[in-house]
Amino acid sequence: MTTPSVEPHAGPRRLTYAIVFLILAALTAIEIALSMLGVDPALRTPAFLVLSLAKATLVAVFYMHLRHDSRLYAFVFIVPVILFALFAGVTLIP
Amino acid sequence: MSEHMTSHAEAYRSGRALGLQPLKLGMWLFLASEVMFFGGLISAFLHYKVNNPSTEGALLDVPLVGVNTFVLLTSSFTVVLGLSAIRQGDRRGLVRFLAATVLLGVAFLGGQAYEFVSLYGHGVTLNGSLFGSTFFTLTGFHGLHVLIGLIWALSTLYGALRGRYAADRYEGVEVFGLYWHFVDVVWIVLFTIIYLV
Amino acid sequence: MPKPSLAGRLPSWTRYLWWNTDHKVIGLQYIVTTFIFFLLGGLMAMLIRAELLRPGFDLMNGAEYDRLFTNHGSVMLFLWIIPVLAGFGNYLIPLMIGARDMAFPRLNALSFWLIPPAGLLMLASFFVGGAEAGWTAYVPLSIRGPDGQTLWAISVVILGMSSILGAINFVTTVFTMRAEGMTIWRLPLFVWGILATSLLVLTATPVLAAGLILVAMDRLFGTLFFSVAAGGDPVLWQNIFWFYSHPAVYIMVLPAMGIISEVIPVFARKPLFGYKPIAMSSMAISVLGLTVWAHHMFTSGMDPRLRIPYMISSMVIAVPTGVKFFSWLATMWDGKLRINTPMLFAMGFMSLFVIGGITGIFLASIPIDLHVHDSYFVVAHLHYVLFGGSVSAVYAGLYYWFPKITGRMYDERLGIVHFVLNFLGTSLAYLPQFEAGLLGMPRRVADYADQFTTLNALSSVGAFLLGISTLPFLYNAIVSWATGPKAAANPWRALTLEWTTSSPPPAENFEDIPVVSSGPYDFGQTPAVSPAATPAGGS
Repeated sequence: MTTPSVEPHAGPRRLTYAIVFLILAALTAIEIALSMLGVDPALRTPAFLVLSLAKATLVAVFYMHLRHDSRLYAFVFIVPVILFALFAGVTLIP
Repeated sequence: MSEHMTSHAEAYRSGRALGLQPLKLGMWLFLASEVMFFGGLISAFLHYKVNNPSTEGALLDVPLVGVNTFVLLTSSFTVVLGLSAIRQGDRRGLVRFLAATVLLGVAFLGGQAYEFVSLYGHGVTLNGSLFGSTFFTLTGFHGLHVLIGLIWALSTLYGALRGRYAADRYEGVEVFGLYWHFVDVVWIVLFTIIYLV
Repeated sequence: MPKPSLAGRLPSWTRYLWWNTDHKVIGLQYIVTTFIFFLLGGLMAMLIRAELLRPGFDLMNGAEYDRLFTNHGSVMLFLWIIPVLAGFGNYLIPLMIGARDMAFPRLNALSFWLIPPAGLLMLASFFVGGAEAGWTAYVPLSIRGPDGQTLWAISVVILGMSSILGAINFVTTVFTMRAEGMTIWRLPLFVWGILATSLLVLTATPVLAAGLILVAMDRLFGTLFFSVAAGGDPVLWQNIFWFYSHPAVYIMVLPAMGIISEVIPVFARKPLFGYKPIAMSSMAISVLGLTVWAHHMFTSGMDPRLRIPYMISSMVIAVPTGVKFFSWLATMWDGKLRINTPMLFAMGFMSLFVIGGITGIFLASIPIDLHVHDSYFVVAHLHYVLFGGSVSAVYAGLYYWFPKITGRMYDERLGIVHFVLNFLGTSLAYLPQFEAGLLGMPRRVADYADQFTTLNALSSVGAFLLGISTLPFLYNAIVSWATGPKAAANPWRALTLEWTTSSPPPAENFEDIPVVSSGPYDFGQTPAVSPAATPAGGS
C-alpha cells in the first residue's frame, strides 16, 4: 500500500545530499583525529558529544527528510530522545 | 459499485490534511520505540563505563572502526541517492544505489566481525568481563539491526528490479530509507560513546 | 459449481479462531482471550488466599508460593489488564473516529496472535521449575533460580512487542483516518486515553524489553550484567524495570478512565463537564508518569538527594487525576441519572479508585514509604487501583458495549447482582490488607505472625466472594449472547459514532461514513436529530 506523495516540491537536490555527506565525512575524520592525538579527555568528551550530535542531526534532518516533512514526525522522534537522556542521566548516578 | 468501499484517499483524509502518510508515521513511531530500546542498552553500557571503568577499552581499534563508520555513512548517502533517482523515474539508478548500499552494509558487518574476532583473540569475550558483556551486547544488537536492514534492502532491490517503484510510487523506498538512516544514527551514537569518549 | 472453501463451510463464529484482519474480530479475540487469562490469574489468587487463610504453610511450601504470586501478578498485568484495554481500543477506535478499520490491519492481527503463544510460554514456565522472583524479577534472584524464569522473561518480551505494535497502529489510525468533522477536540475521551497510553507503551516498554534481554543473556550466555562479583549493579535492574513498570500502571488505568468518561455523560444524560481538561489530564498523567519511577526505589539505597524530587513529582500526578474526578462529579451533578449496570460499575470505579489513589499519595511520601514498603499496605493499594479501579472500568465497558458488540442485551438484574457481590468482595478482600500492612505484615509471604490471622481471614473470605461474583457475570455474558433480546443500534441513546451503526456493526463498520458536526457528549445541545452525525451521502 502506498499513498501519493504529499510534498508539493521535488525534494532536496543531489547536491544537498552530497554536501551533507562531505560534512559527515569531515566530522568523522575530525573525531578520529581527536581520539588519536592524546587530547585531554576533559576537553575531548564535550567535543565528541557535540560532533556526534551534529552528525546525527544532519542525518535526521536531511537524509530522513525531517526538514520538509510534517513536524509531527520530528516530535515523535525527539520525545524519546529526551526521555532517553533523562533515563541515562539518572542511571549514571551510582 | 458498493457504497461500502471507501476510496483510499478518502480513508486517509485526516492524515493528508496534517501532511502525514500512514506508512511513514508508522515507521517513525516504530523508530521512537527503537530509540528507547537502544536507550536501555546504552544506559546499561554507560552506567558501567562510568562506574566500573575497564582497561579492556584500550584494546578497541579506533581507526579500523572509524573507517567502518565512514562505510556506514556512505551507505546512507547511497540510499538517499537511490531515493532521489526513483523520484525522477530513474529505476536503474535506484537499483544501482540499492546494490551499493547492500555492498557497503555487508562491508560494515565484515568490519564488525573482524573487530569482534580480534577482540576475542585478545581475551575480551561476551561473558569474560562486564566490559565484554556490555560491549558485545550493544554492538551485537546494532549489528543485528544492520542485518535486518540488509535483508530489507535486498527485498527493496528485488522490488526495484521488478518495477515496483516509480516517480509517483516510492513510499516503500522512503520507509526503508528511514529505517536504514536510523541504524546509521544509532551507530553514530555508539561509535562516540564506545570508541571515542 | 465451485466448492465452497473450508472457511465458507464452517459456522461464522469459527473465524474468531484464526487469523482475521477485521479490527472487530481482533478486538473480540483480545477480550475473550484476556478474560480467560483473568480467570486463570483469579484462580491463582484463590489459591493464594486459601494458603493465607491461616498462618503456616498449609497447602504449599515457600517456593511453590513464590511461583504462585509471581505468575498471578504477571498473568494479571501482562496477559489481562494491559491487553484487554488494547482489545477495547481495537474494537472501538475505528468505530469511534468513523473509519472502516485500523491503519495496519495485518499488523493488528499479528499483535493479537503474539499473545496466545506468549501466554502459553509463561504458563509453560511452571513445567521447568517456574518463575519465582515476583513480577518485579529483581536481580540477582532472577538470574539464579529455575529455568522457568527464562521462559517468563521471553514471554514478557513478546507481550511487550505485541503492545508496541498495537500502539503504533492506534496512533497512526487516530491521526490519519478520522472522518470528516471529527476534529482532535471532538475525539471521544476513550480515544484520548488510548493516545496517552500509546505514548507510554512506545517509550517505556522497549526499555523493559532491553532489561529482560540482559537478564535472559545473563541466564543463557553467562554475561555479567547483574553479576555482583564482576561489578554488576542490582539497582541498575531496578531503574530499568521501574522506568517501564511505573508508566505501566498508567497504561493500565488511562484507557480505563477513558471508559468511565464515556459512560458517565451517557447515564447522567448531560454534557461532560470539562472535556478539554479531561483530555489534557490524560496527556499530563502520561508525561508525568514517565518521570517518577524511582518512587518504587526509596529503600534501595539510591542517592538520598534524588528522593525528594521523586516524591514531589509523584504527588503532583494527583492533580490531573483530580481534574478527572471532579469533572465526572460535576457531570453527574443535577443530571438525569440512570443507574444501569455500566453506571454502577463506573460509580464503583470512582469510589474504589479514590481509595487506591489516595493511598498512593501516602506511599509517595518518603517517611511513610520507608515503613510500609514491601508490606501489605502496598498490596492493598495496588489492588484497589487495579481491581477496584481498572477491572471495574473494564466491567463497565463490557456491559456498556455488550449490546453493540454482540447485538443482544444482557440481563440487568444479573448485572446488579454481579456489581453488588463485586463491590462487597473487593472491599472485604482489600480493606483489611491496609491495616495488616500498617501493623507490619510483609508481602509475598505464605506464613505470617499470629496477630495477622483475623485480618487475613477476612481478606480471604472477601477474595472468595470475588471469585464467586464472577459467576453471575459469566452466566449473563454467555446466555445473553446466545439468547438475549436483540439490541437496537443505540439502546443507551449515546452520541458517539459507534452508536450510529447497527448492533453488531456491519463488516465495513458503516453503510456510509458519518460526517461529524458536534461533540461526543453534547446532550441537549444538538439539533433534534440524535445522534449528531449525518451520513456522508446525505444533505
